[in-house]
Amino acid sequence: MTDRPTLTATGLARRYGRDAGVHVVDLTLVPGQVTALLGPSGSGKSTLLRLIAGLEAPDAGEIRLGETVLSWPGQTVPPEHRGIGLMFQEHALFPHKTVLGNVTFGLSHLPRAEARDRALDLLRSLRLEDRAKAWPSTLSGGEQQRVALARALAREPAVLLMDEPFSGLDASLRAEVRDALTPALRAAGAAVLIVTHDAEDALAMADHLVLLDQGEVLQAGTPEACYLRPVSLAAARMLGPVEALPARVDGDAVATPLGRFAKPEGEATGWQLLVRPGDVRLADQGVAATVVARRFAGNVTDVTVVMIGPDGEHRLTVSHAGPVPAIGQPAFLALAPDRALVVPA
Amino acid sequence: MGLGAALVAILPLIGVVATALGDGQADIALSDLSRYALTSVALSAQVAVLTAVLGVTAAWLVVGHDFPGRRWLSWALALPLAAPAFALAYGYADLFDAAGDLRIWMRGTLGVDMPFEMRSLGGAGLILSLAFYPYVYLAMRAALLNQSSQAIEAARMLGASPARAFFQVALPMARPALAAGVALAVMETLADYGAVQFLGVQTLTTGVVRAWFVFGSVEAAARIALPLLAFAAVLMWIERMGRSGADHDSGRGRWRPLTLQPLPPVKAALATGFCLMLVGLGLVLPLGWMAHTMIDITPEWPRLIAAARHSVGLAVIAALVTVALAALLALGSTRHPLAARIASLGYATPGAVMAIGLLIPAAVLWRLVPGSVGGFGMGIALLIYAYAARLMAAAFEPIEAGLTRVTPSVVQASRMLGRSETGTAWAIQLPLARGALFTAALVVFVDVMKELPATLMLRPFNVDTLAVMADNYARDERLANAGWPTLLLVLLALPAVLWLTRKISTSRPGEP
Repeated sequence: MTDRPTLTATGLARRYGRDAGVHVVDLTLVPGQVTALLGPSGSGKSTLLRLIAGLEAPDAGEIRLGETVLSWPGQTVPPEHRGIGLMFQEHALFPHKTVLGNVTFGLSHLPRAEARDRALDLLRSLRLEDRAKAWPSTLSGGEQQRVALARALAREPAVLLMDEPFSGLDASLRAEVRDALTPALRAAGAAVLIVTHDAEDALAMADHLVLLDQGEVLQAGTPEACYLRPVSLAAARMLGPVEALPARVDGDAVATPLGRFAKPEGEATGWQLLVRPGDVRLADQGVAATVVARRFAGNVTDVTVVMIGPDGEHRLTVSHAGPVPAIGQPAFLALAPDRALVVPA
Repeated sequence: MGLGAALVAILPLIGVVATALGDGQADIALSDLSRYALTSVALSAQVAVLTAVLGVTAAWLVVGHDFPGRRWLSWALALPLAAPAFALAYGYADLFDAAGDLRIWMRGTLGVDMPFEMRSLGGAGLILSLAFYPYVYLAMRAALLNQSSQAIEAARMLGASPARAFFQVALPMARPALAAGVALAVMETLADYGAVQFLGVQTLTTGVVRAWFVFGSVEAAARIALPLLAFAAVLMWIERMGRSGADHDSGRGRWRPLTLQPLPPVKAALATGFCLMLVGLGLVLPLGWMAHTMIDITPEWPRLIAAARHSVGLAVIAALVTVALAALLALGSTRHPLAARIASLGYATPGAVMAIGLLIPAAVLWRLVPGSVGGFGMGIALLIYAYAARLMAAAFEPIEAGLTRVTPSVVQASRMLGRSETGTAWAIQLPLARGALFTAALVVFVDVMKELPATLMLRPFNVDTLAVMADNYARDERLANAGWPTLLLVLLALPAVLWLTRKISTSRPGEP
């Protein structure tokens, strides 16, 4: 794989009338690495993608690919001259061209035969060689997906952007397609940016995760780091359900309804303890609580308990595998110190 | 009931075919017939090419680019629909008359003359194209707006320049709409009588009217009408094909408008200039010239006012009757899908042919119901019949679209709550589709206001509409006099056209 440039976006901002847009975002896309941009709808992730694609110009900041400046305030190198590939959410296959015609569309700078060979190679690597002459409308959702990927990869882009790549697929197909695409993406050697609102996709595919909300980056890091060491309640909520309990500073620790935990470094006006439902266990001993509701969910049971602490009543839902006390019965809660997420309130 | 409405549209056509193929006396030479047909084909070809170029360019500019005036030009470009083609013909023929001031000035000052005459095949092609390009513009505009911008953006991301993205992706994907728009423009060209007659271009339609008026022969007229019907059927088929192909891949997915391409100042000025030129040439210049020539003339007010009352009266009655029939057709269309197909044939049929088809049963009825009162009523009824038969399909379209937005479960709920099918139509479907009914009524109103050949052939004695009055003056080369009824007609039709074009230009895919 040849050396490919890194894409860096610094201080990027784009505002629409009253819409969110993005405010001052920094982002680095490294070749061979998959970055996932996770955020709810309206978080500005599509805007960021369109800015990098060159479909829109930023109001502030710049985008560089290696040493080349691609976008600067109010100006942008047109999309066809950026060397960046984009896979659209709805695939955007050209309905009037065959699969092969779609894949060779971006290869018009090559001699016809060479373009054809390269397209067929790519189709073969994605197990689509027998669909080369088919029309897009006759393909299944998963096949359209792979054609769109082949079309984007054919130009050997330095950067590949994927907009909600799995949103059109139903749940049973989703994981399968995702796991089939990942090796092809890594093999391409491009810097890949996946924009998604699905935490599971982001955690499963990303080397590097960026959490975006209301046009700002909440947290960036490896998926593990983001999951295990969230910086805020909002960042933690993006990666799964989480409940917040009050935490009071007590020396170099914090006291919470679930016990004392180490206080993180840094200053904050107040602290809180975040609890993911699977992290608290029902044990033989621990913090006493009363079961008030149970919901059977297959391999676990969601148990809602009420704890009485010095500062009032706290309600908490715990996902527990194994036998669960009946409603009205006492339960004992335990939270491992390495699972205690103490963040600024 | 729906089937009955469709029959209304098709009966006159059956009349024409039966008469043409019958063994009545008809002295028309084959050479005349082929000359008419060739002229019609040549004129249609010119209009097809020119409207396609003008309409596509305007639509692509307005939908994909940002330039001064884009917003209001996007609806103003459809305004020439308010003017009948004959109005443009009068204006241009007079403005560019060989003995007119402009040509004298050109020859004297510039030392050049116009390379061609307006009163020629080429001139007629140009004038009709300026009158009918909005059909292509509106169809292409809708198609380009409906296209998910993703396809064009995908092309750009794959290295295509804006021009290549347009010619290889946007235009091929909109080809069905282009075919449909051009088919409509050509249909109108074939149906036009007032403009070509005035410009001295002898098409099949002028032949039909001439055979009736000059030779008084229904049989001869019917025979000339036959190839016209065949052309019309082919065009209708093209238009239908275009419609059925139009929905490939466009509706699916997240719709987002095309990002407007900002244009550098010179190109932006050219874009604004091009759109202004189209509106200017299609409406402002010819009508402005007519207004300029007519101010010296005092109109015959009583005649003018009577004609205006006739025009508006006929247009309102025709709108009500046609919308009622089209609503029946639309309500029954799930049960009789063929009925709508049949009715659409009426739309492709030129008014002159429709009139011929009605003259045959009318002649019989006139003999059965003698007397001037009966005759007057009969004439009006026939005229309304002709309008309804011709425009039912045009009214059907918005009504059907309005009715499909009423979800089946709402209708079923009404039936489960004890309402009959008719009761449900009155209480649920029609009230929910009232916006569509109004749109349909306006479409019919505008078209009837502009209609000439059928009115000319079927109107009761002494009932002149504005279009007929203008045509009478124009025949006598009293163009300044023709200006008054023509401009009044446009002014009366303009509010409806404004309302329709504003509605079209603000509508978005997936919305009413």
